[in-house]
Amino acid sequence: MTHGHLWDRLAEAKERLDPVQSKYRIMFENPDDLDAPAAIMCPDPNWMACALAGDILPPIETYQRDALVPDGEPKEHPYAKPIGPMTEEEAIEYLIMKDCPTEVWRDYTGNRSILKIVPVEAIPTNRSFRNAWKIKQEIAA
Amino acid sequence: MSTLNVANISDGTDSVPTGYVVKGSAKSWVNLYGKETPYIVASMNVSSLVDAGAGRYEIYLTSSMSSSNEYAITATKQDTTVNTDSTCFDVINSRSADAYQIISIEDGVSADSNNVNAVQMGELA
Repeated sequence: MTHGHLWDRLAEAKERLDPVQSKYRIMFENPDDLDAPAAIMCPDPNWMACALAGDILPPIETYQRDALVPDGEPKEHPYAKPIGPMTEEEAIEYLIMKDCPTEVWRDYTGNRSILKIVPVEAIPTNRSFRNAWKIKQEIAA
Repeated sequence: MSTLNVANISDGTDSVPTGYVVKGSAKSWVNLYGKETPYIVASMNVSSLVDAGAGRYEIYLTSSMSSSNEYAITATKQDTTVNTDSTCFDVINSRSADAYQIISIEDGVSADSNNVNAVQMGELA
């Protein structure tokens, strides 16, 4: 049986799976844009449900190869064979590799912590000075 | 899941080629809460929301569009707490085949919004 197009699997999964709001957030700073505030990534609840259920999302490597494909050219990820279920932690790692710039999670060699996975409760709800937020640096004693 | 392969869809009186339905349906949509700790309320074909600053929301797609330019997108806010005398609107700041950024504007500056909505139409990759 063919696995069809990714969008079709997402549409079918939306009817079948209950959304899952993640208990994690991903904080990151882009080292190529020093003036930008820390960004906070929130997984989509339908996407998380698909990741936990399995047999819907394509391998992360297909997105990485597609990132090198010129704009407008055919892409691999919509037609790739889906992967099995992930834990929530594995899904967060997958999402970092999919939606975070590679400068953040792969290429950065500096000493500053620019990527953190935190529980949602650790994110301030008071958004005063939001455009000046940076990731708190913990200095070892 | 099974697939219907038909050229036309009819209600018994009028008929329309299937392509109109397939190509004319939204390929992604999102409704997000943009204050306090922003999160996605409801969506289709979205993998994540990135809170990139005050009133700045980046939406990443699970299944990419065919190219960065050959799609249409619209975004709007619903916010009962804004000053109704002020100028409020959402703009698409940047876009690619797999993501776009919405900026929520109030009185000329980017500002958090309770309820941001976006719909994307066009060709999938």
